[in-house]
Amino acid sequence: MAMYLGLDIGSGTSKGVIIKDGVPIAYHILPSGVDYRAVSLQLRDEILAMVGGSVTVADINDTVATGHGATSADFCQRRESDIICCTRGIFNLFPSARTVIDIQRTYTQVIRLNAQGMVENFLINEKCATGSGCFLDIVCHVLRIDLKDVGPLSLEARNPVSFTTGCAVFGESEAISRVSEGTPVNDILAGVHLSLANKISSLVDRLGLIMDCAICGGGALNVGLIKAIEEKMGFKLLLPEKPQFVNALGAAILAASGERNGNS
Amino acid sequence: MTKVVIVDSDEKTCAAIIGPTGAEHRHLSNRVMRDALAKAGLSFSDISYVVATGYGRINVPFADRQITELTCHARGISSMFPNVRTVIDIGGQDAKGLKIKDGKLTDFIMNDRCAAGTGRFLDVLVDTLGVRVEDLGPLSLKSTQKVVISSLCTIFAQMEIRTRLSQGTPLPDIVAGLHDSIADRVFKMAKKLKIEPDVVFTGGVAKNIGVVKALEAHIGFKIYVPEEPLLTGALGAALIGKEFALKAIAKGEPIHKKELRLDEAATFFQSENS
Repeated sequence: MAMYLGLDIGSGTSKGVIIKDGVPIAYHILPSGVDYRAVSLQLRDEILAMVGGSVTVADINDTVATGHGATSADFCQRRESDIICCTRGIFNLFPSARTVIDIQRTYTQVIRLNAQGMVENFLINEKCATGSGCFLDIVCHVLRIDLKDVGPLSLEARNPVSFTTGCAVFGESEAISRVSEGTPVNDILAGVHLSLANKISSLVDRLGLIMDCAICGGGALNVGLIKAIEEKMGFKLLLPEKPQFVNALGAAILAASGERNGNS
Repeated sequence: MTKVVIVDSDEKTCAAIIGPTGAEHRHLSNRVMRDALAKAGLSFSDISYVVATGYGRINVPFADRQITELTCHARGISSMFPNVRTVIDIGGQDAKGLKIKDGKLTDFIMNDRCAAGTGRFLDVLVDTLGVRVEDLGPLSLKSTQKVVISSLCTIFAQMEIRTRLSQGTPLPDIVAGLHDSIADRVFKMAKKLKIEPDVVFTGGVAKNIGVVKALEAHIGFKIYVPEEPLLTGALGAALIGKEFALKAIAKGEPIHKKELRLDEAATFFQSENS
């Protein structure tokens, strides 16, 4: 029995997946906080405990770390880019996927992969955070709404707000203005989704869409955002059961395959 | 913020105060006005003319006239610095460059699309740094080796700072890097106007000595900062108001086109960037 661990140390949350004989047996997620090294150690120890049966670090054949904080997980010998991890994870779940939208806390990346599951091209919102999950984070903070309630609330919108700013930081002031005017939060949230869907679909257009198209990352937990993107682009997206864990799954798959692309 | 400046017929300032605008107070400019009147020991009937300016100028029902902030800034700054040719104004919502000749606005440029290069950039990042915005300037002067903030975007810069903090980079060096980032962005915008001396720096960010120094290093001219850099727009509005009142009196016309009452804004007009 061979066990492999994938760690995705993100700017918002850190995720871990353990696969055994090619099948995921444990998933774990923690808020990243400011100390990536501490959270990656905690994540590793806690996910091992979840497997049970007195499994220890020594029972893990190999570990791959990815994400913004991957270099801080210095106990881990191998690191891979989140582009490759995402691609491997999605290809494992949806072999028909040729385009992936990965909506993370601060970056949204769009990847095109070929029929063999290899990366052909990708784009990231590298200049500006707009189009990533942080816009929702910021607006949720202003509206005092839990991120997990955003999707359902936005589905009840009647007149989605049209945001005039492309900047997530100025979006905060605009949300405050709308609240003070008495605009329902449902309409504000749906407006944020529309704004994100516009940005994301233009990223996809720039990359060049090939069907099927899958979506993952924390943003894919939001039904309202998925609906907005699907309506904007005019087709259904492939949605994993655990969209936040796709990159960690991909990292575990890379650990198991022995394939090396990144720093080791 | 809502600022009120009251000047007399000799252009001497009788009262100058800064009050809240915020989400709840934006229709309550009458309250700030009342405070200013109290400070000057005047009643509203003593005021000959009211000019409102700024993003929320439409929310001032007791104004005789609304005039854009660019015109008012140009007027206010020229009254303090007669030789001014270039103004850089960095506020919480935008950054502007103004060209002025003989006290009149001749050209301007602005960024209100992105928080980078505005006061909001610092507002957001002081939370990450755990310092007060008013301490940034003095703190940055202690820097021995300023860091280069490579991200333009406020959110990305925030991540960059977190990494720096976890690496143990001294706070003054990070803050100096942030100031340089703002100065660089604003300088690149303003130089499209051809920057000529005298250069005056206004807006809330002009209170930050670190940004003043960083801008000076980029521009290469001495930068003048008014004693109260938030009030130049309101001062200009007051001076323009005085001219309108005097003109009407000279022509023998009534000063006011309508009867003014010191009410709160009844209907809520939304300006896009307020």
